[in-house]
Parts: sequence; C-alpha cells; structure tokens
Amino acid sequence: MSRLEAKKPPLFISKPLTRDAVSQSLSLLSGILKSSYGPAGRLKQLHNGVGGCVCTTSQSSALLGRLSLSQPVLRVLAASVRNHVSRFSDCGLFTAILCCGFIENFRSLNVAPFTVIKISKHLLSLCMDHLKSEACGCRVSVDFSSVETLVCLVRSILTSKPACMLNKTEVDHLTSLVLKAFIFTVPCHVETNAVLGKCVVIPVKGRRVMDSTVLPGLLIEAPEIQLGKPLAVRRTSSNVIKIALFSVSMSGDGSNHEEGTIAVHPGVSLEVSELNQLLNVGKQLVKDEVGLVVCQKVMHPSLKQYLKEHGVVAVDRAGLSLMEPLGRVTGSQPIASIHSLPPGCYGSLKDLCLESFASKHFLHLIPGDTVICSLILCNRSETAWDELKRVCETAEHMLQLTVKEPWALLGGGCTETHLASYIRHKSSSLPASTFQDLGCSQTQYQLVADGFCRSLESVARSLSHDGEEVLTDVVYGHCWLVPSGSPCVSRWSDLVSRCGCGVSGNTEDLSWSFLQGHSGTPVLQGCPKEPSVKVADLRTLDCFAAKCSGLQVALETANLILDLSYIIEDQN
Amino acid sequence: MAFRDANARRHIGLQQLSALASTGRTFLGPMKSHKFIVDEITKQSTLICSAVRLMESLDLTSAVGQLLNETIQAQNKEFKTGMSTLLFLVGAWSNAVVECLQQNVPVPAIVSVMSEGLNSCCERVQCLQIPIHDVKKELCSSRVRPQAFEGKTGQAGCDGLTNPWDLLCFQRDISATEEVIPINSCSHQGDDCNFNKLLVSPLAGFGSVASVVKAAGDKSSSVLSGSGVTASSCITRKLTHSRHFSTLGKSRFTSQPGNFQGHLSGPSADVCGCCGLGHLAVALSHGNQTSVKLLQSIAAYQQERAEFSGCSQVNISGIVTCCVLGLPESYSCVSPGFVKLVSPEQATVIKHFADKPLRVLLMDGDLTEGYRHLGFNRPTNVRTILEHPNPQGGRAEDVWVSRMLDILMSFEVNLVLVKGNVCKNFMERCIASRILVIGCVARDVLCAFGAATGAQAVTYLSQLNASSTGNGAWAELWKTSDGRAVDLGELLPARISAGGIPLLTAVLTTALPSKVQLLEDQFWTLLYRLHHALKDGKVFPGGGAVELLCLSHIQALAVQPGQPGHDRVVRELPSPWLAEYKSIVLQALASGWKRYLSVLLCNTAKASSELEAGASVDHHLQKAAACGSPSAYILEEFRRGGVLRSGSEPLPDQVTDLKVCDNVAAKTEAWRRALDLVLLVLQTDAEIITGPSRNQILNSPVSNEFIFL
Repeated sequence: MSRLEAKKPPLFISKPLTRDAVSQSLSLLSGILKSSYGPAGRLKQLHNGVGGCVCTTSQSSALLGRLSLSQPVLRVLAASVRNHVSRFSDCGLFTAILCCGFIENFRSLNVAPFTVIKISKHLLSLCMDHLKSEACGCRVSVDFSSVETLVCLVRSILTSKPACMLNKTEVDHLTSLVLKAFIFTVPCHVETNAVLGKCVVIPVKGRRVMDSTVLPGLLIEAPEIQLGKPLAVRRTSSNVIKIALFSVSMSGDGSNHEEGTIAVHPGVSLEVSELNQLLNVGKQLVKDEVGLVVCQKVMHPSLKQYLKEHGVVAVDRAGLSLMEPLGRVTGSQPIASIHSLPPGCYGSLKDLCLESFASKHFLHLIPGDTVICSLILCNRSETAWDELKRVCETAEHMLQLTVKEPWALLGGGCTETHLASYIRHKSSSLPASTFQDLGCSQTQYQLVADGFCRSLESVARSLSHDGEEVLTDVVYGHCWLVPSGSPCVSRWSDLVSRCGCGVSGNTEDLSWSFLQGHSGTPVLQGCPKEPSVKVADLRTLDCFAAKCSGLQVALETANLILDLSYIIEDQN
Repeated sequence: MAFRDANARRHIGLQQLSALASTGRTFLGPMKSHKFIVDEITKQSTLICSAVRLMESLDLTSAVGQLLNETIQAQNKEFKTGMSTLLFLVGAWSNAVVECLQQNVPVPAIVSVMSEGLNSCCERVQCLQIPIHDVKKELCSSRVRPQAFEGKTGQAGCDGLTNPWDLLCFQRDISATEEVIPINSCSHQGDDCNFNKLLVSPLAGFGSVASVVKAAGDKSSSVLSGSGVTASSCITRKLTHSRHFSTLGKSRFTSQPGNFQGHLSGPSADVCGCCGLGHLAVALSHGNQTSVKLLQSIAAYQQERAEFSGCSQVNISGIVTCCVLGLPESYSCVSPGFVKLVSPEQATVIKHFADKPLRVLLMDGDLTEGYRHLGFNRPTNVRTILEHPNPQGGRAEDVWVSRMLDILMSFEVNLVLVKGNVCKNFMERCIASRILVIGCVARDVLCAFGAATGAQAVTYLSQLNASSTGNGAWAELWKTSDGRAVDLGELLPARISAGGIPLLTAVLTTALPSKVQLLEDQFWTLLYRLHHALKDGKVFPGGGAVELLCLSHIQALAVQPGQPGHDRVVRELPSPWLAEYKSIVLQALASGWKRYLSVLLCNTAKASSELEAGASVDHHLQKAAACGSPSAYILEEFRRGGVLRSGSEPLPDQVTDLKVCDNVAAKTEAWRRALDLVLLVLQTDAEIITGPSRNQILNSPVSNEFIFL
C-alpha cells in the first residue's frame, strides 16, 4: 500500500548574500583557497573520515572537486571555477580567490548591483585591452625557438604545488620531461590545420621521481606478457603490424543486458555459441593478417589462446582512457561489435616491443609518425603522485595553450599588482563621457574601481603565508615579499631582493610601500612602466590564456552571484 | 563537509606522527624486541617484529596514520628493508620540526633547509659506499685465500663473483653487435683472480654454441691469459652446468631426479669458501644466521645455473617459501623446485608416481564448475526450460567433474597446478584416478613450470590441446637434509620439480607456529637486501657509520656561514634572514640521526641509557672531527670492527664476524620518504572531511574543532 504525502512548498530565501550563514561559508571557503595559493601554500588533507584514501593537495581542481558544498552560492562559484579549470587547467585558485574577493569587496559598497556590474565590466574591458596591447608591462612574449621561457613556464607550474614533494634536481628533470613530451606532441608535417597530439601519463607509484621518463608512442600495460622471450608478432607483407582495436567486451558473456528473459533448451549453451562467435572473429583477424589485437575490456582466454597460437599478440583491459590515443597512434577505428568487422577498421604500427619499468611490463607501440607520447611518471607516495600527475597535465596543457597565444604573464603576484596600479591610474583619468555612458557618477566609478583593485591585490597578498609583508613599488607596480620579523631598516632596498616574478631587482630605488588593501595604496603618478625583461632573471611566469580567462570568469561569476536576489530551494 | 584547522599553535598532525612512530622504537637495529599485539575484543594476539607488521596491526583511521602506513608499505613493497629506520626517523624528525615551530621558524625555511640538508647528506655519504667487488676484500681481509682452485664441477659456482671463468655470459641474440663477452672485470682482486679475457667471435649464423664451448676449454688464441695467471686452470672447467652451453636435460639436476635428493648442501664451515656472495649475505644479515644459510644456498644454486653471470642479480621471482611446522629451525634449507604442503591422500598419489616423469598442466584460474575468467558477467536473464524430467537426475557438478576428468585422462595428464582453488569433489576424483592436483600455486611458480616443461597455462580445461601440456615434471615427498621423510600428521611437504626449472623453495621449518610469519619476513628481507645490494652494485658500511657521517656533515654545515649554497633557497629567501634559521633547522635534521644512533646503541645494549648513548655519539663525533676527515675516520673505524665501539670494548678477534653492511638505495630512500612525510604533514594546515559523516563528527568529542561548510 502506498501513501501519498503532500508536497512541501519550496523555500524562498531573499537576498542570500546578506545572510550570515552564506557570508560565513564564503569567507571560510575563501580562507581555504587563499591558504592554498602559491608555492608556499598550505596543503589540505581531504578524506572521508572512514578510512578512505587521503588526498593531500593545494590544487583547486582536487579541492573543489571533492568538497561537498551545501550553500547554493558556493556551488555556483565552484562550478564556474571547475568549468574554467576543465578548459584551461591552470589558474583555478587565482580565479576562485579573485571571485571571492570581488564578491566581498563589491558587496560592501553602497552602490546598486546593476551599477556595480556595469562599471566592473568596463574595468574588465580596460584590463583585457591592456593585457592584449603591445605596451602591456606584465606580459612577455614566448619565444619557441629558445627553451628558456618555456622552462620558466613549466617550472613555475611544477613548483607551485608543494604536495608534489620535489627537490631542485627533480624539478629540473621533470621540467625537461614535460618539455620533451610537449615537443613529441607537435606534428612534424603541418598541413592546413595542425592538431597537437597528446601525452598519456603512465602511473608508476612508489618510485623515485628521477626514474620518470618519456617515450614516443604508447605504452599499454600487459602483465601477462613475459619478459625475456622475444616478442613474436606477425607482420604484413609491407612489413607493418596490423592492429585491430576493440571497444566491445570480448569476454564471451554476451553482454546482453537488455530487459526480458531468454529461454533456452537444455543442451543449448549461450556461452558456447558466444565463444564460437568470438573464435570466428579470431579466424577473420588471422586471415586479415592482423598482428596485434587490443581490447578495451576483457578478452576470453580461449580467444587469447587462439590468437597467440597464430602469432597474434593480444592485450585486453586497455581501458577507456587509452582508446582515443590508441586510435590516433594507429589510425584504427575502434570496433564495437563482434559480429561484423567494418572495412578499413584496422590500423598499423611500425614496431612493437616490450618495456619494463619498476616490475611492470608494458607493450610499447611504436608508430611511424606520431604526435602521441607516454610520460612514465614516478613519485614516492600515492598522494604525492596524484598531485604530480595533475601538475604535469596542467603543464602540458599550458604549453599547448601557449602555442596558440605565445605570451606569458609575469607571476609571483606581479601581474595582479601591476594590473591594479594600471587600473588605479587609468580610472582616475577617464573622460566624463565614460561615466555618462555607464550611467554612473565618477564617485561610484572610483568606489567600484577601488574594490576591483583591492580584489586583485588580495590575490597577490594571498602569496604570503608566514606573515611576510607584501610590498608594491611605484615605478613598475610589481609585487615584493619581505620575510616576517625582519629587522627594522631605514631603507626597503636593504630587505627586498627581487620582485615576485624576478624581473626587477633592488638596485634602483623604486619607492616601495605596503600593499595593505584598505588603507591607501598609493596612486601612481603615471602609468606603471614596462621593465626591461631579461629572460635569465625570470622566476615565475603564468599561462596567458588561463589567467585572462580566469580574470573574466571570476568577474562574471561574482557579478552573477551579486545579482542573486532569491534562492528557491525545493524541500521535497 | 567538515573542516579542521590542523595548525592550532602546536601542529596536531606532527604530534600524531610522532606518537605513532614512537611505537616502533625497539625495532631499530639488529637486536629487535618482539611485540605482542593483542586484540581487545577477540583476545587474539600476534607476535610481530617489524614496522610493517606493526602498522598492519594498528588501527590507523586518522589521515596522518594512513599517510604513515602508505609510506611504510611503499618502502616495504620496493625494498622489504629500511621500514624501521623510516618509522623511527618520522618520529624523530616530526619532534624536531615541532621544536623548530616553537622557535618561530617559518615553515618554508624548515622545508627548504631540511630537504636541501638531506640532499647534501645523501651526496656526502656517497664516499662511504663500498663497491660489491670490494666487499669481499673489505670484509675478510684476514682470510688466507687459496692461490689456486680446482676446476671440479662440484665447486662450480662457489666462487662466482670473483672468479672470472664463472661469469661467462653469452648472448645468443644474433642481432647483438657486441662480439665480446665480458668475463669479469675484477682485476683488482689480484691474488686469487685468474683473470683472463675471453674473446668469442660469434660465427656467422646460429651454429656457434658448440664452438664457443670448445673455445673456452681450448688453449687456443681466443683465450688471452692475464698477467701472471695460468690459463691452464681454466681449461679443466667444464661448462656442463651453464644454462647456455648444455642441452636441456643433460645436466645433473635434470637427468637424474631419482639420484638427486633435491638438497643443496649447506655452506661449508668456512663461509669464505662458499661463494663471493657469502660474505655479502653475512654482512647484510645483521646477525640472522638461519636466513644467511638459506641465502648462501640460493646464491650458490643460482650462480651454478649461470643466472648470475654478467648481471650479478638474485632472481627473486624464482624463489618461493614453504613453512613446515613441527621441525626445529635447523632443518630449514633450500630445495630446487617447488615444495608445498599436501594432504595425505595427495601424498599417496605422489608415492605412487615413484620416479615417473609426469605430464603437467598449468591452470591460471580456479578449477571449479562455477569459475569464469575475470570480467565475465554471468547473464541473469537466461532460463533453461526442461521439456521432460532428467532421468539420471545427476547434479550439474557431477557431470562437469566427469567431463573434466575425461579431458585430463585423454591427455594423460598426471599433474595439475592450479593458481586458484580446486573443487573438492573434483580433487577426490582426481586422486582416485591418480592425478595430482595442487591448488593455490603462485603465478611465478606456474611461469617457472611453463618455462621448464613447455606447458602453456590455460584458464579452462576445454582449452586444452597437445601444445598446452608439458612434460618432464616429477614429484616426490620432501625429505630433510638428513634424509628423513617428514610425517607431521595432517599435511606433508612434497617437492615438485622439472628438468632445468629455475625455481627454488626455501623451506622454513620451525616448531613454533607463532614464529612462522616472522621467519618468512626475515627471509624475504634478507633476500631483498642481497638483491638490492647487487642491483645497486654497492653497499654502505653498517652499524651507524653512515648516520654518523651525516651527523658530522650536518653539524659542520650548521656552523658554516653562507653555506650550503642552494641557489633556489637563496633566491627565494634573502640570505641574512635564512642564515638566522638555517642553523636551527639543520640541528633539527641532525637530531634525527643523533637519536637514531643513541637508540641504536641502547637497543644493542652498548649503552644503558639514551643519555649515555648520546654522550658516546658525541665522543665519536669529536674524534671524527679531530681527525680532519670524518669519512676517512669512519671508514677506518669500520675496518677495525665497527664504528660506534666504546673505548673499553676490546677489538674483536674475528673481525669478519662483526662487519655489517646496509643497502644504499633502501637506506637513502627510507630517509627521503621519512622526511617527505614529515614535511608533507608540516605543510598541511587543514583536514577536510568530505562525505556524509556530519552527525558522526558532531557527536564526537572533538566536534568543536570542526567547522561545517
């Protein structure tokens, strides 16, 4: 007997941002993210409290992916940031912290939300125009003909996450591997539209980072293949290895998960008929001179035996993640049925050999011309390996994005403080017509611009985790960190050595001052200058595309959240 | 989601680490105290004697506990040694780091100085490494070495590493471009090294095997004698026991199963006479004599099979263990082939086999009716319709058993080795038909039998064809070295072997059931130590030598101004500021090793208290510093019989007995893993508990530490 229950009415929450619970959660989340930011950021242990594995991380994707947030406002924020990270990999924490900063700073202004949104959009366009202009002082162009800037970009990403537990030599080793892997993914012969390849990460946990290496082509783990024996593989008359790629299960269980019941007579075995069908496929493969069969799922032992007896190498359980690169490497079409082999589904390989790393055996697929490579990634502990994998993937992605837009932004907080000083300068010299167009007063504009700059500066201030003082200079608008508890000196130049990105030193007097957020950050006399960049000095660089997108996403998300007037919660 | 700030003034995570690690203190050093772990609910207890087993027995639900366990397991998986060191240093360093925090040293300074300090130590201690080739010289300098040796086959393989003739490595790979087979490069062995270079030019094509053998035994131009070495001693060498130069089935082990009792004679009284690895094994054993004996047999056997040639490795995958309860430990030995406990019924089948060669079948799954390969999902929506009742009324399993038995009979299989379980009913029927079926056989064992008999492992009996069975295996009941058959009631050890099988079983005997796991762990630890020592190609002098050098190195660094010149550190932190903390942090790093040495001295009863031990360590440090070159001092002390000897201790007569060596990679990796864990926890400022355990946390006593998002 069923019982009907009346539906509960939905819960209306008006002006969600004014609620205490919301602002508390928001500031807690912002605190978690800020404390994780940068190379000295603190780590978070994420676990389920009942013995699940422990994830130690300071990465936005791992943090936001695992947090279960109950406040809708926070969920909107997390969703935007994760969407940004899925497209750009990098600058997730930047986006999230900046977004929290915008919300906090704009909320406290006594300006109507729609005016704030209008003005902040204008400010964003000023930023974007500046970032894209030639005169931009926080942008360097990336020269792909030399390795230095690229090394700096990769190194910045590798060192930004302390949970990877890398020392200096290990960072150097991985930097060169990531760059090598990137070079493998660039096609040699470019036709009309070049497509970059892919670097597949092969996990080898529990080993030294220095054991990591990169190989062109693909590695498939093949635990059943014994080393020591030479690999006997059939080749076609043109001396290539034909490969068939199956995405369907070949385990012989029929995989018949449709509804309804099948009735069979005694003596009829579906298993046997299924196996016969598999063996027919096997015969066809042998007839077609196939030398290697890879199955995404499980292969029936009898089929494997049959193939092996005919000199065909068979590998099963390749896994979904390898299917796409397998198709690209070999040019084969995944076969989704064991009843028909479509014409032209086979691919080819130049060679096949065995490799072994740390007691794991792999089949190394060597194609003729490839943009796919395998990064065998080692790290001592599970949690550090997970972090390192995400970091290496971010670095690969960042390099690919940089090919499209060959610039990089100065890191170490310098871009943020530079942009803030640029906006402060620019907003004080706007023509009156701009305010008219925006429908706001100059005071309103100044208020919002100040909030905008403070939000940017708060990101730079998040780099300080041990009570370091954050300074900025009046000439370039860069960001400087001074250790806490430093002795009192008459001149800042005795304490500061290099700015966050490493471009400027303490040789000239740059009139430093505290970057204190609320109380008067000095307005520059003129536009922040463009320093002369020596590549050798560069310490930290950020991905241009990712940071630009992060800036936009942060502002748009903040505006969306500021504009929320009701939350309607279904209580059923 | 709950959130806890881990950094509330005193770092909770580091305190947890230190508390957990303090339980493993007595496992440090060669004199380990055993521990009983008692389950409060079931009152069952386990005897343990290693950090790994300790971690397994503790209830580690906290995040830090899990990370610690993960770290120890990772070290165990790769090295099987160094876990106690790791556990101890985790504790010592987390204490030291907490002290740094209390002195207001910023976290980045601790992280960078400590990790650079450890790096610097790892580089510094490289000068103490002893190459494997020199170990023998180093360890038994007092021994009078035989000036010549006999070329008896019985002694083949007994001097492996240092005798050139034994290390004939031959690559049959035609594509290999090297024409020369390196024999041995230990020319520095001087007195007993009959050094020669054997040049073997592969003849065009395949037919070179015979001629190579001839070349080796012939005083022809292809044998170039080294200086002052008689080439004739090489001539008597017969290469019948080399895998590459004898046809299968012709060697002693393979052709006469009946005569050969399946025992390797233990090492002779003089360990030096056994093999080059003998000393290394003794030095790495840290006093465990039973395992040393087994290891020396394994080394001798594998050498004899030319497994060692050129590459000098212990083949770990070719070794299994079998524990036999009820015999004294002195009966432990190494048997070629596969020893496993079988039921009396199976034993009857074996007796019936006598010396008959057996046809063998290998199965890599279970041998039951319901078994299907992994990944096979049984369809749930299939129904069988019976049109009329089955007159026989036979159960499906009986039908299956008969069918399978028919298959075995038709292929005349006598021996079935199964990776998984075997259906009881089927086992009984097989015994009745005099077919020996053995279940729960490890994959490596199946591989070894596959390689030796030509059998191909199958998953289902229906896959069986002529090419998947193998020939030439035999089975017998295992006998002790004095020839006694063992009849201990329920289960009997049986030995199954095949011609030329590269498989050895270490039979571990003990009268105490609670010691079984201990013995097994100890055996594997030592085996892996030897394996890694050969893989590294070098060892560290043991007994605290390396730690003492680290200590003296760090203390020197701590007082050195402006050093170490790590540009990364210097670039990120202004140097005057860093210098302020450098010394504190380096002292913290050093305190880990100092406590290690002190506890080591206490555990070995060389000091009565940690205070006294600390004073003794300081004394040695001063002496090392006074000597000018600490590393030279330490090496010299090691040669004289041990690094941390107290002044009153007389010099031991038999220096060889006391020298102890450690693995290089295992030790430095244990340090690195320990420090990584401490620094990882140090840099963690919050614990975030995800998932639906909100109420559980709210009800717990620490609920006020949590904030909910």
